[in-house]
Amino acid sequence: MRKYAFLLWAIAIVSAQVSFTGNTETRIGESSNGFYYNETLINTNLQYGAFTNWIQLEFSDPPELGRRVNGVRKLRLEYENGPVTLKLGDLYEIWGRGLVLNSVDDQPIDRDTGIRGLSLSYMSDSFTGQWITGRADISQSTIYALDYNTRTHNYHLPYNLYGLTINKLIGNHDLGVSFLQSREQHPVNTFPVDTLDIKNQLSSISYSVTQPAFDFYAEYIINRSFTFAENEWDPHQNGRGLYSNLNFYFKLFSLNLEYINYHFGDFDPFDRWNVVDNYGYYQPYQNPPIAMYIHENVLMNRISHQTDFNNEVGLKAEVMGSLTDNIEFLAMYAQSNRTHSWVMNEDYTWRQQEQLSYFPSFEPAAMPYKDFYAELTFNQLRNNLYLKLGYADSEDIVDLLQNTVTDTSQILTYSIASAKTFPLNLSFVVGDGWSIDAKMELQWLKKGYWSYNQQNNQVVADSLMSIFLDDEGNRVEDEKNSFISLSIGKSPKWSVTFTTDKTSIKETFGDKESIVNPLEKLLGVDQEKNWINVEFVYHLTTSMRISLMYGSLKGGLLCTNGVCRIIEPFDDGFKVGLTTVF
Amino acid sequence: MQLFKRIVIITAIFSAVYADEKRDIILPDLSVKLLDGKQVRLSGLLEEGPLLVDFWATWCAPCKKEMIFLEEFHQKYYEEGFRVLAISTDSPKSMSKVKSYIRAKKHTFMVGLDPNQEIAKKMNALVMPTVIILNKDRKVSWYHQGFIPGDEKEIEAQIRTVLELGQEKVGE
Repeated sequence: MRKYAFLLWAIAIVSAQVSFTGNTETRIGESSNGFYYNETLINTNLQYGAFTNWIQLEFSDPPELGRRVNGVRKLRLEYENGPVTLKLGDLYEIWGRGLVLNSVDDQPIDRDTGIRGLSLSYMSDSFTGQWITGRADISQSTIYALDYNTRTHNYHLPYNLYGLTINKLIGNHDLGVSFLQSREQHPVNTFPVDTLDIKNQLSSISYSVTQPAFDFYAEYIINRSFTFAENEWDPHQNGRGLYSNLNFYFKLFSLNLEYINYHFGDFDPFDRWNVVDNYGYYQPYQNPPIAMYIHENVLMNRISHQTDFNNEVGLKAEVMGSLTDNIEFLAMYAQSNRTHSWVMNEDYTWRQQEQLSYFPSFEPAAMPYKDFYAELTFNQLRNNLYLKLGYADSEDIVDLLQNTVTDTSQILTYSIASAKTFPLNLSFVVGDGWSIDAKMELQWLKKGYWSYNQQNNQVVADSLMSIFLDDEGNRVEDEKNSFISLSIGKSPKWSVTFTTDKTSIKETFGDKESIVNPLEKLLGVDQEKNWINVEFVYHLTTSMRISLMYGSLKGGLLCTNGVCRIIEPFDDGFKVGLTTVF
Repeated sequence: MQLFKRIVIITAIFSAVYADEKRDIILPDLSVKLLDGKQVRLSGLLEEGPLLVDFWATWCAPCKKEMIFLEEFHQKYYEEGFRVLAISTDSPKSMSKVKSYIRAKKHTFMVGLDPNQEIAKKMNALVMPTVIILNKDRKVSWYHQGFIPGDEKEIEAQIRTVLELGQEKVGE
C-alpha cells in the first residue's frame, strides 16, 4: 500500500494540475542525563481535482516519546464529490462529542488512536452520515504489563471495527444515533500469557438544540461487551455513559454547564488503572469529554486530575463575561468523584458501599476532586497592556488506601494533593515592535496521606502526613513552587525567554540525580531545586521558525484532556526545533 | 544513524530553500463548519474579498491576546470586503465553551470548528496561533506562526497589502 501511495504521490507532484503544500517539523534534544531524541515529521498535502492526499513521513532515531519510525507514518487518500466523501487510509474522526468515537493523534503524550481503514460519508444541510471500517492499533504505557518505561509503550491492543453514525437536523434540533462494533485480541496477565477475544458494541443517541439565549447538548451511550469462548459469545459487561452541556447567554455574560456520568465499569481503588486485566469496559478510541477546566498555567497542569473514564460523575460550571470594555472575568468550579464509595473487607479486598447520587459529593471514600478557578483580564492603553490575574484552588483524592468500617469505628486513609495557585501574566508593547511578556505562578502544594480514625464515636485522628521533607529531613506541610518566565520580543522576528522553575523541596525522579546546569551555577541557585532555561525563537522567514533552548526542564506529569503521562526531566541540555511550511 | 542525519540535513536544506520560494500556494476549497452549525466553503467566504484564517483554542493564551486585534481589524476593514475566520481547534473536551468565550469577548468575526484538526493539518497550521491571509483566488498571501505582542502591526500591514490600501494607516 505504501509503494502505491508513493507512486501516486510522485505522479501527482510532477503533474501541473496539482496543488501541493506541506510542512516539516524537526526536533532534536540532548541532555546531560542521557535523554536524547532526534525526529523529523514531514507532512505533504496534495490536491488534484476531487482527490486529496495526505502523507506524513517520520524519521526518528529515537523520537522524544514512542518508538522510532523511518518512513511513512500516516497516509490518506480522499475523494470528494458534492455531499459524498470517501476516505481511505489513516482516519481521525469524532462522532458527536466523542462518547462512541474520538480517534486522536496526540503527539505530546504519544497517544494515537487512529483507525486505518475506509470511511464513506454524506453531508447535506440537514443530514449527515458516516460509515467507517478499519483497524486501530492502540498502544499505551501501563505498569500492569511487562517492560514499563516512560518513553515507549509496553502494551498493545489491536481492534477491528466498523460503525455508522447519522445526524438529522430539524429546525434548531439535531438528533443523532451511532453504532460501533469492535473486536479486539486482548492480552491478559495470566501464566502462560493468554489473549482473549473480546467484542464491544457501543450504541449512542444524541440531541442538541440551539437558541439565541441558550444551547443544549446531551449524548447517552450504552456499551455491551462479550467474550468468545467455546464457539459462542458470552455477555461480559454492560456499561453506560452520559454527557450533557447547557449554555446560557445573557448580553456579554455566559454560563457554561457540563455534566458527565460515565459508568462503564466498577473497579476497586487498587485496580482501577489496570487496563490489562480489566477488559470490555471503556475503550481507548472513545475519548469522551471531561468535566474539568483545562488550565493554561504550568503549575496547575502538573497536578491535573486524571479522569477515570470507566467510573466518574462530574459537574463543571463556568461563568465568563465583560465587566467593562477593557475588563473581563471568568469563574469556574468543577467537581467529580466515583459513582460509588468503597469499603475494605477484613481480608483487605474491597466492596462497594453505596451508590452515590447522580451529582458529585465530597465523600472521601469515593475519591472526589474539586477545582475552583477565577481570573480577571485587563486590556489597557489601546490594547498595548495586557494583564491577567488568577487564583486556583484544587483538591484531589488520588488514591483510597484504606476504609475499614465497623459498627463502632472507621479507619480511613487516602492520598491527597491540594494546591493554591496564583498565576499572573503581563504583556506590554513598548513600541517599534518591542514587547515584554512576563508570567509568574506561585503555588502552595500539599501532598500526603490523610488519616481519619474514629473509635466509639470519638475522632482520635484526623490529619495529613505530608510527603514533603526539608533538607534536614523534617516533615513540612507545603511545597512552595514558583514558575517565572520573562520574554523580550522584537516583532515579527524573534523573542527570547528566560524561565525559572523553582521548588522548595528537593525532588528526585527515580534514581536519577539532578545535574548541574551552568546557568543555575551562574545565578548561584540551589541546583537541586531549580530548573532554569533560556529559549530563543527566530522567524527566519514568514514560513520558517527556529527555536533553540538551553538549560533544564522539570519532569513530571504531563496531562492533556484528562489523560496523563509521566515525562522524564531534561537536565542541562539543548533542544532545537525547526518548523517550515511550503 | 548516518542515513538519519543525512535525511535531517537534506530536509532542513530543502525546507530552507523551498519554504522561502515565492510561489503561489493555492489552498483546497475546504469546507468549514461554523459555530452556528452552517457549513461553508473557503470559496464562499472569499466572495466579498480577502480572508484571514486564524487557528486558535480556548486553552491557548497567545491566541486569545491575538484575537483582540483580529476583532479590531475585522471591524476596521469590513467595508473593504475583508473577513476574519477564527477556526477553533478545541476538541470535544473544551468545545462546549467556544461559543461562551466568543460571546463574552464580544467577538463579531466568523468562528469555525475543527475538533479533530483536519482543517489545520490541510492548511499547515503547525502551532497555535497560526494566521493565514488568503486573497480572493484562495492563494496564500501571508503566513505567520505564533504571536509575539507587537505582531499585530505586521498583521495589519499584511491585511492592507492584500487589500491594496497602502501602509499609511498602519498603527493608527
